[in-house]
Order: sequence, then structure tokens, then C-alpha cells
Amino acid sequence: MAGTATGLDEIRVLLVEDDRDIAVEIVGELESRNFAVTLAETGDTGLEQACSGTHNVMVVDRMLPGMDGLSLIETMRGQGVRTPVLVLSALGAVDDRVSGLKAGGDDYLTKPFAMEELVARIEALLRRPDDSRQTVLRVGPLSMDLIDRTVMRGEREIELLPREFRLLEYLMRRPGQVLTRAMLLEEVWNYRFTPQTNLVDVHIGKLRRKVDVAGEAVLIHSIRGAGFTLQAPE
Amino acid sequence: MPVSDRFALFRTARFKLGLAFALAMLGAIAVQFCLMYSQMTTLEFRRSGQVLDREMQLLLAMSPEHLDYVIRERSTDDLRLVVNEAGIFTASHQPVTGELHVWPEGLVADGQLHNVVMEPEEGAPYTLRFLAARMPDSRVLVLGRSLHFLNEQKLMLRRASLTTLVPIVLFALFAGTWLSHRALARVKDMHEAIDRIMRGDIHERLPTGTQQDELQRLAASVNRMLDRLEQLMRDMGNVGNDIAHDLRTPLARVRAGLERAVSGPQGASAETLQIAIGRALDNLDQCFAIITALLRLAEIDNSKGRDAFTSIDLAALTRDIIDLYEPIAESEGVELLFPESDVSVNTRGDRDLLIEMLANLVDNAIKFTPEGGRVRVSVGVSDAHPFVAVMDTGIGIHPDERDAVLTRFYRSDKSRHIRGSGLGLSLVASILRLHNAELRILDADPGHPDRGACFLVLFPANEIAKPAV
Repeated sequence: MAGTATGLDEIRVLLVEDDRDIAVEIVGELESRNFAVTLAETGDTGLEQACSGTHNVMVVDRMLPGMDGLSLIETMRGQGVRTPVLVLSALGAVDDRVSGLKAGGDDYLTKPFAMEELVARIEALLRRPDDSRQTVLRVGPLSMDLIDRTVMRGEREIELLPREFRLLEYLMRRPGQVLTRAMLLEEVWNYRFTPQTNLVDVHIGKLRRKVDVAGEAVLIHSIRGAGFTLQAPE
Repeated sequence: MPVSDRFALFRTARFKLGLAFALAMLGAIAVQFCLMYSQMTTLEFRRSGQVLDREMQLLLAMSPEHLDYVIRERSTDDLRLVVNEAGIFTASHQPVTGELHVWPEGLVADGQLHNVVMEPEEGAPYTLRFLAARMPDSRVLVLGRSLHFLNEQKLMLRRASLTTLVPIVLFALFAGTWLSHRALARVKDMHEAIDRIMRGDIHERLPTGTQQDELQRLAASVNRMLDRLEQLMRDMGNVGNDIAHDLRTPLARVRAGLERAVSGPQGASAETLQIAIGRALDNLDQCFAIITALLRLAEIDNSKGRDAFTSIDLAALTRDIIDLYEPIAESEGVELLFPESDVSVNTRGDRDLLIEMLANLVDNAIKFTPEGGRVRVSVGVSDAHPFVAVMDTGIGIHPDERDAVLTRFYRSDKSRHIRGSGLGLSLVASILRLHNAELRILDADPGHPDRGACFLVLFPANEIAKPAV
């Protein structure tokens, strides 16, 4: 279940990266997960590919020979290409991330990163929840009323603290999707740092004890080396 | 010998200083010469004037007949010794008596002194000083005195100056070079010491000597700088060792675990292998965490920009962090307290970094507090300084260790068993440096260092900080 492609036949990824070693590694990883990867090694060819091709998602390195990553994204957005972009960057200034998102990137990942993190973020970009006017979220037996702020599992009502409610809402909006610890910390808490302890695990653990009571089918799964996912039972 | 080396001597500071000294001396001699020259001229002019005046008065007092005789025969000592030319002329300047047969050109009988250039038929022209006065019988008496004496004095002065010039210049050059050599010899010693340091002998220091002069102070400053650099180099070397050591331990565990799994009994169950791989991944994650923390430290230390600083409400920020860490504290059996108040405590800073800083402090406090203990966080303003304090009831930090805990990878012997990258407090210190904030480590219970530590973060005083209510 980790990182499997979505319902579509084949996901096409455009990777713009000039570092051969990293490119080979990313291409290998993505292809093993049944993505079709196009590699561009300079900013200019990357822009050409982005504007002509039909890619579902792009991964763009910030530092590129010729046109740099941020200019590429800006130019591309200027031409009306809406393909979601994940920006990669070497460790740099603290506020690099902000400029990356300002240029039109959708997510930001700092090197070095784990492959699971990259894949999880690509998947997240592919399946961004359509921020619909839904007032009730449903995943399997679980239902969440966003107006009354109540959660039911079948007939059982689950009492949640505000922070637990926010976490579960985030999970329920992305069923079946692998969410890494960093993603949860960033999106649910709006924090960007690597905690010294397994913070997110503890929060998920507490939530799981309330959602998955003994005897019930497990909904919140841990995925070794990657993160967590909320999935309806088969 | 290359051309550039041939002129090396002339480029040295020593030679230049010697030359400057010689030139200064030459200048002084020239000034003295001019002064003596003009003084001598003035003096001689005045004296000859006085002599001619007095003689004129003496002669005019005689009767005309006697005067004719005196002039013709030059019968007085004065006329032989101090007056060089004498003659009596008619009112229309025709010679009457005396050796002077021609009226000196340009001379006026007005009782004033006149310089007249005489041009004899043989020999070089020379200047005479004349005095002409009308006698009672309307004839004119002319007396002249040569400037011979003055010219001789001048000549002597010129000769003396020229002959002493060469030895004086040589002496000045020698003395200047020698004096500057003495001064520059110390520079040379320093130069050699620097060469040795650059060759890698980092313990070498500049010679300082005993003279309390500028050079000595400079050398002392450079030595202090070298001390500091050596200390930093040693620290960096230690950090390198610490990194190697901290990475080696989990990596060794990975290796041992995987080796056991591979060389174990044939057909080890898939489950056993799974467990071994899981453990290996955990250990690798720890290595990864250390490297990430190190890179993060470098990132913060290198970022000088305070552009991203905004107004931050420390109370709200702390509330969020408490909310984030409450489940952890609960699972560790530690009570996490934050006295609620709706006062806002504002400071300027980078939100993400301040969160990271606070999270590290709270994380640390929970980690070092035994089960049943208590971590208490408070926020406020003290003397216009916004502050955050994190107090625990853990093992505390001995006063001797308080500086050391902020250095990278420091782990107190008492806390060896607690897992962590060893970089948390270094991160805190780096972030606070960027914010010009101060970190103080105190006793949670004053006077009892073993009853818990208090980490007090003091932000710089600012106008927007509202006083605590």
C-alpha cells in the first residue's frame, strides 16, 4: 500500500535535476513504483518539457544550470501551466522555503531527504483534496461532522481533544495516502523542524487508541520508515 | 640573480628610512647654510657702512689743504688699512686728487652708501661700496671699501659646507639605516614567526620583547588572536571526533545486527530478518537525525538575515508548544504545566526558529525529568525583557557543567543513557544568538543544583514588550 499509484493508469512525473547521482536514484525509486519519469537536466529543457508535455506532477531542483528552478516555475506559471510542483533544495538560508513557495511551488523538500518522504509528498500533490463544501467526511465506518465537530465510528461516538480532531480531519481528507511525520507536523501544526523525540508517533498513538478500539478493524496504519495512513478496511 | 632581487635592498623599509634620514639632515644643513650666508652679508654691509661714515666725518673735519695732502699721500693708517679707494672730485665729477681717476658709475654724492661694480681693464669685475659727500668748498670727497673680506668669508663657508657634505650624508645614511635596522629587526623576527605558523606550527607565537611600544602591543594582540584561533581549531577538531564517535556507535550496531542476521542459522525465518532490518533502520535513522541536526546548526549559524523577523507573541507560541508536547509528557508520566494567562508577551523573531528553540527546551526538560516529575513553563516580562523559563524537577545541571552543556555533543555522565543527538541545546544556543537573546541556566530550586534545572531565555528589551500584569 505504500506509495502505490492512484486510480489513474500511469502517473507521469517530470524531474528537473542536474545532479546525475540524485537523478538516477530518484528515477529508479519512482519507476519501481510505476511512475513514468521524464528527466530534464537543465532549466531550459525542463521548461520546454513542462510547457509541452502532459505531466501530472513535477519535481524541480532549485539550483540548475541555465535557468534556475524558481525562474522556471515562475515562467511556467506565467504561461498558465498548473502542474503541481515539488521544489527540491540543498540546505541553504532559513527562508529559502518561503521564496520557493512564492515562486509558485506547491511543496518544498530540503536535501538530504528520505525517498519515502519524496514519494509521500509527490502522492500528496497528486491527490490534493478538492477543498469542497463537504460538511461530513467519511472513511469506512468513520464519519466526521465538521459543523458539530463530532466523530462517529459506526454507532460509537469518539470524544476528541481539539488537536486530535484536527489531526484526524487531516487524515480523513487523505484516505489511503501515506503521510510522513514531517508532513503532519507541517500541515497539522504548521511547524517546520525535526523534533528530537517521536512527537508525531505519540499523537497518532493517542488518536489510534480512541479510533481503533480492541476488536475493531484497524483504520490507522503505521508504515515502517515512511509514516502513517488512514485506510478503510477492505 | 634576478633583476628584481638586485634592487631588493633599495626597496627595504630599512634603506628607505635611512635615505629619508639623510635627506632630512641635508635639508637641515641647507637651511643653516642659507641663514649663515645672509647673516654674514648683513653684518659686513653694516660694518663697512659704519667704517666709511666715521672716516668721512673725520676727513671732512680737516682743512681742505690738509685733506688734499692726506688723500694724495694716504698719510693716515685708516686710509691705508680700512679705506681701499679715496679721491677728491670737482662738482662736475672731474678727478682732482687721489688714486681714483674715474667717477664711479652710478654714484651719487648724497651721503648714502652705494654699491658700484668696477670693471678693471684686467681681471674680473668686483664690487665696491662707495660713500660720496660734498666738501665745504663744493668739491666731492669719495671713499670706497671693497667687499673682499665678505667674499672671502663666503668662499670659505661654501668650501667648508661642501667638504663636510659628503661625510655628513654618509653618516646620516649609515645612522638612519642602523637605527631603522634595529627597529625593523623585530619586524623581521615577527615575520619569521609568522612563516613558521603558516608552515603549520600553530603553537608558535610572535616575539613580544619587553618594550611597551606600539609594536609590542600589536604583537600581543596578534598573539591573543592566535590563541583564540588555536582554541577554535581544537574545538572543531573535537567536534569532528565527537561526530565520528556519535555516528560510529549506531553504525556499529547496524553492522553487527545485519551480520548476525546473515550468518545466523540457515533458513532464518522471514520474521527474524524483518526484526533485524527494522532495528538496522532505527539505528540508521538515528545517524540521519544527527546529520540533519548538524546541517541545521550550520544553516542557522550561517543565516545572518533577520529579514524574516516578525512580531511574535511568546505566550501564544508557548501555548501551542505545550499543546504539542502534552501527550509526550503524559506518556512519560511527567506533569507539564503552563500557567494560563491572556497577557501577550511580544518580541521580534523568526517564528519557525523560536518554535524549534522552545520545542527543544521543552523536549529536553521532559526527557531529563523522571516519572512523576514536573515541567513548568512560564512566560513574562522582566525589566522590559520578555522571557521564557522552562523548569524541570530532573537531575539538574551542576554549575561547573553549565557552559559545557551548550557545546556540541556534550552529554553529562549522568545522562549517557538518554537518547538524543546531543545537539539540541547547541541548536537552542545558535537560534538565541541569532535573536540576540541570552540563555541562562539556573537552579529550579535555588541552592539545590540536583533538584532540577531552569533554562531562562531573556530576549532583548524592546518597546513593544508590554509589562506583565
